[in-house]
Amino acid sequence: MATVDLDGMLREYVPRRHLTSSAPTLGALLEELEEEFPRLRGKLRDETGSLRPFVRLFQNGEAVDRANWPEVRLGERDKVDVLHSIQGG
Amino acid sequence: MAGKAVRIYLGTRKGTYVAEGDEKRRKWKVRGPYHEGMDVYHVQPDPRHDGTVYAGVNSPWWGPALYRSRDHGKKWTEIAPPQMPVRAKRPPPSPDQDPRTTVRPIVNIWHIEPGPAREPSTVYVGVDPASLYRSTDSGSSWEPLDGLNKHETREKWNPGAGGLCLHSILVDARVPGRMYAGISAAGTFRSDDDGEHWRPMNQGVQVSFQPEKNPPFGQCVHKIALDAADPSTIYRQDHDGIHVTHDAMEHWTRVGKPLTSDFGFVVTSPATRPGTAYFAPLSGESRIMKDGQFQVYRWSEKTRKFATTVPSSKWAGSFGTHREGMASDTLDPPGIYLGSTTGDLFVSADDAKNWELVPFRFPSIHSVEVSVAPGRT
Repeated sequence: MATVDLDGMLREYVPRRHLTSSAPTLGALLEELEEEFPRLRGKLRDETGSLRPFVRLFQNGEAVDRANWPEVRLGERDKVDVLHSIQGG
Repeated sequence: MAGKAVRIYLGTRKGTYVAEGDEKRRKWKVRGPYHEGMDVYHVQPDPRHDGTVYAGVNSPWWGPALYRSRDHGKKWTEIAPPQMPVRAKRPPPSPDQDPRTTVRPIVNIWHIEPGPAREPSTVYVGVDPASLYRSTDSGSSWEPLDGLNKHETREKWNPGAGGLCLHSILVDARVPGRMYAGISAAGTFRSDDDGEHWRPMNQGVQVSFQPEKNPPFGQCVHKIALDAADPSTIYRQDHDGIHVTHDAMEHWTRVGKPLTSDFGFVVTSPATRPGTAYFAPLSGESRIMKDGQFQVYRWSEKTRKFATTVPSSKWAGSFGTHREGMASDTLDPPGIYLGSTTGDLFVSADDAKNWELVPFRFPSIHSVEVSVAPGRT
């Protein structure tokens, strides 16, 4: 199963920072997370399916293309990080 | 005699605040922030249910969110926000597509409006991109009002500086089925059948920022307010001046020209002072008060004139207002409330005869709404 690490900003919506998943793609993974943690719905991606501007997904340490992320396939040993960029002064 | 609790609900650049006092409206106890750090465009108490308050909370990280409180804004519960109708398997929009014809997600929640008393669970929400939604279960679910959201003129609507936002919703409880919406910069619209069909209602409001000066739609309305006694009289603060209609928006008359500037964002018409409306005009260029002085003007339908309400040297300063930044309460004499972009909250407890500054420095104030209820805070 793939391991999934969520950043601390998501603590309000997901009580655990470390999860595992057998979802076949990143799109399926987010659907799975939203199903299990309904308050997450709309927070990582909007209703058109686009990731929110400050959300970035990483697969094994590599940033995932924002345009095609839902189709990115996940393997058993993959590690996914869901991160928010914190910026501004 | 039982007292009355007066609560001022503030949406600010950094969260929600509540100022509580009594009917004297002299001393205020401030609590908050709630939704700390978030951009709260509007906090709206529901006069049909004492204690119920809605907040439109916008965040660049989390997107727009709606919250509801049942205890005068002490505890908040996130409720489902409206969503743009998108097919389940629709691919994400390409950045190359024309944003006017592409379904875009809701960017910000701009205005929350309780429905009429005869529909105690109905609530309306206006958002950017300009769309109107209705809930009949106190905000737990939402339906788009496509008679407006898919209006035949929509492709020609253009955004104002704040985006293409539906920021004004008026429900005329005295005329069944009649409601109004204001969109920047599409103008004002009226429905006479509970939001099924809509008609642009802007005749008499000239447009300074496009070649056609008298278009049927495309005006940059900033805020509208219903008169308390005459259901056909509505006051309008537009990008292009202060206007009044006496026939439910069939015709508008610009009345603000005698002022040195009648550009501005706010308007309120007190429930206990029919024929009266308050405006706080700004410089059209800098968008701060003229001559560096805080000023609120009272418009009288009886005299057809404006009068200043703040002594000329009372408060100097360079600040503006956001479009939801002024409100009035339902007491007699009415309280008038104005929040500034620099976080000052001005209050008059006597129909703008005297003004006081609440001794609290808020973040930049987006919205001001007031509730009055029996009891104490």
